[in-house]
Amino acid sequence: MKTPRLSPQTLRVLERFLEQPTAWRYGYELSRETGLKSGTLYPILMRLAKYSLLETKWVTTEDGVPPRHTYRLTPNGVELVRATFANSRATLKARRPAFSGGRA
Amino acid sequence: MIPAAFPRSVAIALLRFAIWIAPHDSHDWGHAMLNELNHVEGNWSALIWSLGGAGVLAKHAVLAFIFPGTHRRTVTTASELFDKEGPMRKTTVAAICACVVASLLFFLLPVFRQAFRVSLAQWHDVLHVGLTLGYLDSDPELDALTKKAEQNHDAEALAFVAVRARNQAESARLADEAVHLDPKLTWIYAVVAVSWPSLPEIDRWVLALEAWDPQNALPHFIVAEKIDIDQVIREKIPHHVDEQPASWQNAMAAAFQSSKLDNYLGRLKDLDRRVFLRYHLDDPFQVSGEDGWYGLPTYASADSSSYAKSLLESGQTLEVRNDRKGAFEKYLAVARFGQMMSPAGGFFLRRELQEAYKRLEALSQGEGNQAAASFYAAVANQADRAHYEALNSLRNRVTGSGVSHWNASLVKTSGLANLVCCGILLTCMLGVIVRGRTLRPSALYPSSLTLGLGFGAAAGALVSSSVLFVSYRPYSEILQRFIHSGDDDGLSELASFLADAQLPLGTQNFLGSWNVVFYFWSAVTVLCVLVVLIAVVRHFQTRPRATAA
Repeated sequence: MKTPRLSPQTLRVLERFLEQPTAWRYGYELSRETGLKSGTLYPILMRLAKYSLLETKWVTTEDGVPPRHTYRLTPNGVELVRATFANSRATLKARRPAFSGGRA
Repeated sequence: MIPAAFPRSVAIALLRFAIWIAPHDSHDWGHAMLNELNHVEGNWSALIWSLGGAGVLAKHAVLAFIFPGTHRRTVTTASELFDKEGPMRKTTVAAICACVVASLLFFLLPVFRQAFRVSLAQWHDVLHVGLTLGYLDSDPELDALTKKAEQNHDAEALAFVAVRARNQAESARLADEAVHLDPKLTWIYAVVAVSWPSLPEIDRWVLALEAWDPQNALPHFIVAEKIDIDQVIREKIPHHVDEQPASWQNAMAAAFQSSKLDNYLGRLKDLDRRVFLRYHLDDPFQVSGEDGWYGLPTYASADSSSYAKSLLESGQTLEVRNDRKGAFEKYLAVARFGQMMSPAGGFFLRRELQEAYKRLEALSQGEGNQAAASFYAAVANQADRAHYEALNSLRNRVTGSGVSHWNASLVKTSGLANLVCCGILLTCMLGVIVRGRTLRPSALYPSSLTLGLGFGAAAGALVSSSVLFVSYRPYSEILQRFIHSGDDDGLSELASFLADAQLPLGTQNFLGSWNVVFYFWSAVTVLCVLVVLIAVVRHFQTRPRATAA
């Protein structure tokens, strides 16, 4: 099977999701944890959701505050990403992250 | 002072606008980013969050506009999932490389290299601030040629650079050196003196010119020109010929008695050709350099009309005194000099020439010589036609033809497009390399947008190179014809084209280019300030914090 290649930014996002695969995550929370700006993070989330690897849900946190969009990997996503990680982790570990100045 | 919440308000407005322009299937994501704004700490951070989100939505809006009707789909395998993020797509990269190689191949053609240099001429005044502000500038190509000419003791090459030197002292030195090596080149004194009429060497040069070519009126014109310019500088301009100093009157009288008026431009063109061939020069601007005001001193040429008028008046006075022979000689002197001026600058003396022929015709009729009267009438008619032809030729030289204007615009636009495309291509390449932190093509991850931009820029570079080559080629042929066979038929067209090519794109004359210089450097300054501001903001944004969030 062809070994998929991941961009370092996507890898960081997926790593965060894999830490707690069942937990719902907020966009801003992911941004802070990965150090990615909204302009980088959201295209990744959108692409993952587009391929049904990510499920999204609107949740109301408190009264008077608009609902928030939350994300978590779908079972299919968890399986595919884990399989991909198993193959490419060795290679990816050798590579430096694209941006080392993140906050995470 | 900006209210603290202002950036957040701007951020909200910006994202709302981005949602408004975004395609329908991106609205959820837009609202997701908008609602997250409530939880972003800090007003400026909220604005930055909003800018990123708005950028994403804007990109989707553009893509939806270009590729309408894209559908969602699901994937089942990992490889299919990451196809989007795989290494650079080979077909696109191959197409980009093919376009870049094809564009670079153009540079192997000397005609294209010449065309590219001509397309850059519009930036000369904009980028050379010293020259724009009136300082003297040097031309590296001419400087190199001067060194070679001095090493080789090549008198003709020295004369070539003397005519084109931008410093009058240097021009005089080179002319002296050329004549010292080859006295047959004494005529170069006249060409240089017409360009620099206030040179201290002119008195000495005029003596040399009078001895070398005693029949020519040009040295006398040069003397009159120097006196005229001195009067202009001292703001003591005589209103009548009688008020002119004796030296000026003597110079004009000698010019009108001369049997020829040679501006030596023919000799200069032959010399140019020989130097071009000998030193393998290919700069078209050096050919048209001498194509100025017919190679005659401007003030003296204009003043020749006043002197001709005074001769006609004195002829009339002699007629009144019944000295027909004396009057005839005066009229004939004006007619003869007017004819001599015709090929070079006949428009200066058109009225006086016609008047002289009328008087000669009337005198001949008075003496009962009908044949001579008819002859003068016919010559007057012919001179008038020649005058209009010269005037049209001058108009064409000054304004140029529509074709040369159009071609100059094409060359300037395609040259500029070529630079912009190369800039975009380089930016895309650098962006992809910086993001991937590697030079291995297989490990680079350009987005669809980057690939699209890269392909567009590469294709643009190829198209603009082709247009540049095709637009300039006819002028290169004119130049080659002139250099190799002496055919100067298209030189005025070439001069007109090059004059247009030097004007910055979007300007109609040299006056407008000053505005271009101002706006160009203002834009550069604003961009520099923006880059510094962005760098400062990024520095504070990416500074490591004591605790992780």
